[in-house]
Amino acid sequence: MDVYQLLISGVSQGCVYGLIALGFVLIYKATEMVNFAQGELMMLGAFVAITYVDVLGMPFLPGVLAAMATMGLIGVLLERLLLRPMIGEPHFAVLMLTIGLGFILRAVAGAIWGSSPRPLGVPYAGQVISVGELVVSIESLAIVGGTVVLCAALYGFFRFTRLGIAMQAASQNQLAAYYVGIPVKRIYGLVWALSAVVATVAGVLAAPVTLVDPLMGFIGIKAFAAAIVGGFGSLPGAIIGGLVVGLAEQFAGLYLPPGMADMSAYVILLAMLILRPQGLIASMQRKKV
Amino acid sequence: MSAAGAAASGPGRSLLVAEDIAVSFGGVRAVKDLSFTVEAGEVFSIVGPNGAGKTTIFNLVSRIYDVDHGRLLLDGDDITRVPRHAVAERGIARTFQNTELFERETVLHNLLIGCHAHRRTGFLSDLLFVPAVRRQELEFRRIAEEVIDLLDLQSYRDQVIGNLPYGVRKMVEVGRALCIRPRLLLLDEPSSGLNPEETEDLAFALEDINQGLGITVVMVEHDMGLVSRASHRVMALADGALLTIGAPAEVQRHPEVLKAYLGD
Amino acid sequence: MRFIRKTRYQQDIALFRHGGQWFWYSLLLVAALAAPLLLDRFYLGELALVFIYAIAGIGLMLLVGYTGLVSLGHAGFLAIGAYAHAWLLGQGWPFPLAIGSAAALSAAVGAAIALPATRMTGIYLAVATLAFAVIVEQVIIHWASVTGGFRGMVVPAAAWLGVDLGGPAAFYVLCLALLLLCLLLALNLLRSPSGRAMTAVRDSELSAESMGVHLVRTKTLAFALSAGFTGVAGALFAHKIGYLAPDAFTLQLSILLLLMVVVGGLGSLHGVIYGALFIGLLPQVLAVVRDSVPPAIAQLPGLEPGVFGLILVLVLIYEPLGIYGRWCKVRAYFDAFPLYRRATYKRQKQYLRTERLH
Repeated sequence: MDVYQLLISGVSQGCVYGLIALGFVLIYKATEMVNFAQGELMMLGAFVAITYVDVLGMPFLPGVLAAMATMGLIGVLLERLLLRPMIGEPHFAVLMLTIGLGFILRAVAGAIWGSSPRPLGVPYAGQVISVGELVVSIESLAIVGGTVVLCAALYGFFRFTRLGIAMQAASQNQLAAYYVGIPVKRIYGLVWALSAVVATVAGVLAAPVTLVDPLMGFIGIKAFAAAIVGGFGSLPGAIIGGLVVGLAEQFAGLYLPPGMADMSAYVILLAMLILRPQGLIASMQRKKV
Repeated sequence: MSAAGAAASGPGRSLLVAEDIAVSFGGVRAVKDLSFTVEAGEVFSIVGPNGAGKTTIFNLVSRIYDVDHGRLLLDGDDITRVPRHAVAERGIARTFQNTELFERETVLHNLLIGCHAHRRTGFLSDLLFVPAVRRQELEFRRIAEEVIDLLDLQSYRDQVIGNLPYGVRKMVEVGRALCIRPRLLLLDEPSSGLNPEETEDLAFALEDINQGLGITVVMVEHDMGLVSRASHRVMALADGALLTIGAPAEVQRHPEVLKAYLGD
Repeated sequence: MRFIRKTRYQQDIALFRHGGQWFWYSLLLVAALAAPLLLDRFYLGELALVFIYAIAGIGLMLLVGYTGLVSLGHAGFLAIGAYAHAWLLGQGWPFPLAIGSAAALSAAVGAAIALPATRMTGIYLAVATLAFAVIVEQVIIHWASVTGGFRGMVVPAAAWLGVDLGGPAAFYVLCLALLLLCLLLALNLLRSPSGRAMTAVRDSELSAESMGVHLVRTKTLAFALSAGFTGVAGALFAHKIGYLAPDAFTLQLSILLLLMVVVGGLGSLHGVIYGALFIGLLPQVLAVVRDSVPPAIAQLPGLEPGVFGLILVLVLIYEPLGIYGRWCKVRAYFDAFPLYRRATYKRQKQYLRTERLH
């Protein structure tokens, strides 16, 4: 039974990692920039949701949707102010920029909401369903369910809408995209908005399990490992990577001495980088000369 | 070897021999069972429409790609599988179609890196900058200055590559390759993007390199004027396969070559 | 504008290009050596910390600025140097041997990291180094018999041949001396084939290999040397903080070191010095500003990293060449006065073209 419990926690934690990883991969696929502040976006999204739902007293679903919309706007703003001047700069510089952004967001969140952990009032808090001897919390189910819904929505978006196809075009060859009339800069803003929205969903879903505080974003580093494990250029890979890391962490806690479980995400990451650097779902890179 | 491949060659030994080399990328067969010989001391041009596999051959010889099958011999030594960084030591230098220079450094710095194949000091001596390292630096500088004189790059010596005009960059890339003191120089479209005056300078430089320094040159070119003027022999390719090898005039009249370029 | 007439190749190889440079740097050295006589112990301590950061910065700059390999985990090498040195001193080893061995150990670990790392590029490498730093931290925590785990470890006093190196003036001179030594080694490296190989790897791996540069060997060397220099800084850092604990070597410290090389100016040793001054003195400046700012802001827990983040972002957007880059532009302005054109340094528009195949 223990194993099933671990499986459930592993999958739900893995989904949280996967959602944040999804945000990473979205931005990377579109702009070839890595956003190290993705975890902080999640944290900010959760705090904004708290403001709408708990502080302003909005009902849950509208409050969450409002938070998603707000964060979408913030995503566009961040892209316009900080990332737009960095187009074409070496990847390392953008990485550093987003690291700095993460610090700033943490400080701002601490200033506005304080640094003590707060809960988010979800309507399904504490509820469980029992399947035989198994006790599954609705929160975990919500995480998994939410992830599935979001992934399906994103798949449909990229596959079937013009905007999604335009995003793919802009990610492959900016100049060509300009020539065919795609407003590349606006697309980038939208990609960031989308990424922020995904991060908000992750934050809202994860909030009941891990309380919300400014340091919540550090989970982003493990999510980054998940994205790499899955293969950095691949959206389904992000989720798969997240699940791998989430499950490995739970089972490592069972079989390894205490404290080591925390390291497992990094060990998997290093193993992956050494053995199969392109990740589980490869996105190949080769420079043509 | 096909009849076309056995036709015409000068006296002297074969420097580069390709035996039945082939390579595919995905489903595309870029080079199909190609054989040719480059004689020591000659200027050998490779011509053909785009997609014929010309740059791919360079990439195979300088070991950026691996052949699927076949052999490459340099002066009798099998170089089909040598590691990429060993190519310069063996005396093969190349330039790239879209110049791959070290953009953030000066022209002189780029040329000095070209001398890297000749280094004899290890990192420990470098750290302490022992007199042997100092002497080696002076020697490298001398080599670089000779190349600068050959190619007339004096006024650009201390300028950063990023600021230089296109024609000069192409010359710097040739210069960097020359600092290796190669036996075999592979030039990938050296005249592309050059104006007629610069192409003239290039032609003279080629003469100096080939006849003055005795370096064997293999050149991928589209400018048939330059090819006729500067080469001893020409190899025509289309779709990765050999059409003909011979003197420039013959090749330009060859029916298969005309068909490949102009259609039926 | 100064035009230097060169008649010998030696002039280009030499460390100082012309008499003026000799003069100003000597003056700087004299000022640095005179500091113990003029400044009180607090400022000497701060300057010593600046020197320690600079030594670590030389290591990081060699890796990031000159070889183009990003490391987000350099605090790990700092930790290895610190703990190794402290432990060896505790075992009774003489001071120079302890610090040399700590640096060598750090370099060996750096070389070991390089083995897998050389196959990774850019972002993957950065994350791998991050993972490395986390693993080092865990090793420190769990290997309590040597490192004291969470409880920490006292750093034995610095002394050699009866001379106490721990006092403010002595420690200051020790740090200065080691900094000058490291600078000299780094400058030697950069004007030799090894250093050129590293910049070649940074600018174009493909053509570097075509020139005969052995990629794996060069990257491994870069990692090893970088780790070695940082190990030396770590040993000195141990003496500075006096008591070692795992939470002294966090991700934040790694980011701080990276901030140093970026803000200082990537790709030059001048940048290291400017950057070290920046991060060494910034906490003091913040402390002063805190007093004059309303308490609501001053008491914020995340203020210091927040300010670091803000500065990092501003520097990357508005002056990517860093402090040294800005200084070069200022100097160019006065050199070319009144003909200076801002367009000289204008960044060209760049368009992204992916090198991924799908």
